[in-house]
Amino acid sequence: MSTNAIDIDVERETPAGFETEEMTLNMGPQHPSTHGVLRFVVKADGEVMRRAIPDIGYLHRSIEKIAEKVGYHGFMPYTDRVDYVSAMQCNQGWAMACEALAGIEVPRRGEYCRVIASEFGRLASHLLSVGATGMDIGAMTPFTHAIREREYINDILEELCGARLTFNYMRIGGCAWDLPPGFAKRAIAFLDRFEPLIDEYNELISFNKIYVERLANVAIVPPEMAIAWNLVGPNLRGSGVKYDVRKDAPYSVYPELEFDVPVGTGERGTLGDSYDRYMVRMREMKESCRILRQALDGIPPGPVIAKVPRTFKPPAGDVYVRVEGSRGDMGWFVVSDGSAFPYRVHIRTGSFAAMAIIEELSKGLMIADLVAVIASLDIVAPEVDR
Amino acid sequence: MGLSSYVANIGETLGTIFEGMAITASHLVRKPFTIQYPDRTDIRVQDSLPFRYRGLLDVDLEICTGCLACERACPIDCIVIEAEKDKQTKEMILKRFDIDLAKCMYCGLCSEPCPTGSIHHTPEFEGADYSLESLIRRFVKAPVVAYKPAKGPETDPEVAPILTRGLRYLDEFASPGDAKGPATAASAGSAGTDR
Amino acid sequence: MQQFADSLLDGGILAGLPRSLGYALVVAFFAFVLLNFIMLIAGVTSWLERRVWARIQSRVGPNRVGPQGVIQWLADGIKNVLKEDIVPTAADKLLFKAAPYLAMIGFFGAWACVPFGDGLIVADLNVGVLYITAVTGLVVVGILMAGWSSNNKWALLGGIRSAAQIVSYEIPAAIAINTVILLTGTLSMQSIIRQQGWAPWNWFLFDNPFTFVAFFIFFVALLAEGNRTPFDLPEAESELVAGAFTEYSGLRSLLFFLVEWGNLYVIGALCTTLFLGGWQVPAFTDNAVIQGALQFVVFFAKSYFLVFVAMWIRATLPRVRVDQLMSLCWKYLVPISFVNLVGAMLWVVAFPNGWMPARVVMFLFGAALVLYFFSRVAFHLRRARPELTFNPIS
Repeated sequence: MSTNAIDIDVERETPAGFETEEMTLNMGPQHPSTHGVLRFVVKADGEVMRRAIPDIGYLHRSIEKIAEKVGYHGFMPYTDRVDYVSAMQCNQGWAMACEALAGIEVPRRGEYCRVIASEFGRLASHLLSVGATGMDIGAMTPFTHAIREREYINDILEELCGARLTFNYMRIGGCAWDLPPGFAKRAIAFLDRFEPLIDEYNELISFNKIYVERLANVAIVPPEMAIAWNLVGPNLRGSGVKYDVRKDAPYSVYPELEFDVPVGTGERGTLGDSYDRYMVRMREMKESCRILRQALDGIPPGPVIAKVPRTFKPPAGDVYVRVEGSRGDMGWFVVSDGSAFPYRVHIRTGSFAAMAIIEELSKGLMIADLVAVIASLDIVAPEVDR
Repeated sequence: MGLSSYVANIGETLGTIFEGMAITASHLVRKPFTIQYPDRTDIRVQDSLPFRYRGLLDVDLEICTGCLACERACPIDCIVIEAEKDKQTKEMILKRFDIDLAKCMYCGLCSEPCPTGSIHHTPEFEGADYSLESLIRRFVKAPVVAYKPAKGPETDPEVAPILTRGLRYLDEFASPGDAKGPATAASAGSAGTDR
Repeated sequence: MQQFADSLLDGGILAGLPRSLGYALVVAFFAFVLLNFIMLIAGVTSWLERRVWARIQSRVGPNRVGPQGVIQWLADGIKNVLKEDIVPTAADKLLFKAAPYLAMIGFFGAWACVPFGDGLIVADLNVGVLYITAVTGLVVVGILMAGWSSNNKWALLGGIRSAAQIVSYEIPAAIAINTVILLTGTLSMQSIIRQQGWAPWNWFLFDNPFTFVAFFIFFVALLAEGNRTPFDLPEAESELVAGAFTEYSGLRSLLFFLVEWGNLYVIGALCTTLFLGGWQVPAFTDNAVIQGALQFVVFFAKSYFLVFVAMWIRATLPRVRVDQLMSLCWKYLVPISFVNLVGAMLWVVAFPNGWMPARVVMFLFGAALVLYFFSRVAFHLRRARPELTFNPIS
């Protein structure tokens, strides 16, 4: 949307008779703190904002249209780029959608490999998110510590599938590579190292009074508002709504694994403020470690991929599949017309809805808080624009 | 606010700052995590990468059968192959095998369907160059005859090691009938990065 | 310095010159020496800050330019000087160009009263502390000018935030200074140091509980005045790019950053003078030169340790928001410092010459705090597992 469509408010009169007007600031696409290329037109009264109007589309790559050209198998690498911070879950979403269309069943070991990969992806994504939140608030150190841990996860996933960011690990019908020898040993070594570090991270930054003061009572989203504005994932759970696709609409082998769903409780401020969302992510990391240990322990032998024809032609129809991405419920809507190329693909991501709520939340916040809110809602630009 | 919460605020601030500074002081004396690439590493980085690493593409023309499976599989059409069957000798002649590395997204979809493992990813990742033209790797210098896989084990001593490596690369990929996967994931013994 | 100039003019090198010219030459010479010293310190502080930051963040920091990267600051300085000098078209040109120099003047003027040793001070004014506090106020004018003249709303926000912050935090700083002046009765820097001793329990820091609290209030207030984290909202990188200095490039931006890093040393020097015993060393020899050198080293070490603590705090703590910053100053620091001042007044009335047991108790308390700190550091080191290495590089 262009700035011509934004109406400039009329000048106001203060009681003393001075005329003031609002500042219109541009928090442009190039900015050290917006998570990717996002643009906000901020109408502020000094330090306090009236509205922050998001302007999206700077990272639009027409991925959904590309699916209509490259076909079902060829689209898998593109799903990595839908949310490149946690790419494994996007792979799983697309694979599950195609399998639902064609009625393919994934072998048990394949499902376990998928869960292991997805949970590692969730760990990596949450690490980046909490690190970036810390950096936006001003603490540079937790960010580098989080990235350091993420490097270990990248190393683990690199020997699993050969890449560090755009994995392209899963295929329709299972996974492309089996777990390499010694994988479980290394993964467990990493988890043993990582879990005490979550505590250290908490003591460094999460319980720090300055940090709590910056995040508590900022951008409170009550549970009804979260549901009305379509928030998903840690944003929704931070407002107290206990909803997780892995529990409420389970897929893959999640019903066999034991884990809790952490929910925000308003521990330091009000229920649904930024601190709750941040702490939900920290706790989810611990839960992911739990899931990983169970999966690595209980993985059955067998093949990891089912037989799928080289030219994949699912029967005509449509399907909507949901996976629990790091940023929430990711919906994959695929319409097939019986040919080798999908008729329409639509991806519903959690960050898109979170962008919509920012305008509502920004009324009365300070400019310094806007950055904190974007970070706590964990908005990544590729998910918003695809 | 009451006096007690005022004092509690001050106490909590000082306490958490004290703890945070103790943590950062402990980091000050730990070993840094940086790998000082490229000149202060013990071994070349490329040699330390796992076997499955998806770096720049390479084609072993000695074992390319000219089946065009990689060209069909590539989602962004960065592989261009010209192969035609010679009318008299009934052999496939490869005239052109170009990979545009500038377009390639290193997804690995081309190396999966290759029957011999001729097209594969290497651990090389330093591909930066000054001109876009030089990123188009032309693997066929003069028209060559495509490889015809032998019925039994390969006898040609020059081609055999290349084929072995190619098949080993393909072996990494999972296949549907793979009941011979490791019994559990926790197989003790080998470290990960064997070559 | 006056005596030095007089001695040169009367019988030394400058004999025969008119008085004022001689004074001017001596002043110019000392100013030149001091300017070089300041630039060197500011540059090395920037290098040290980057190395300390990096080690806290598990990385290495600049280590290529020169041995361990010690001349990285020189390379950065030369690079900045060679950059294109951009003055935005719509900016107020005169103010834009004058702002860095005003900030430099405000910062540089404070060094006239910073002591380095016994007798090693440019001008031992008898209102030394007050002079430093007053002159550093010019930096505010420079920053405000920079923010306004850039014709950039983000810069304006940064400049205004900075002005509000510096002006507000002058008050707790001044009151904390008063807590010490009650003990000394003089504002002259060298006299304050002379009234302390070389042993830690003779420092003003441990003199009574009220100066102990005043030290922390003073340090926090000076951090806020120097725009350092946790109070660096005016130059918050993640929000305002560079705050008031967004539009500056080349030499002008370099001057602003030199002011910031050099200010760290002034903070350290002020705290050392008032609380940590200054350049006091036990009398080892009669040789004045060696004694003077020892004093210089001790003063420098103490000030630089506080500079290191400021860097360390910057690496640890997040930023405080503007309204929280103001409420911290006016609702917490100002009342506490007032109460502290009243307590110090009562103490001075009760014990006009100090009370040795109190000093020893405070010193033991401080030592216990330091020991507890080291025990927490050891705990964290124990809890951290050794580094895993997955790939065989280094």
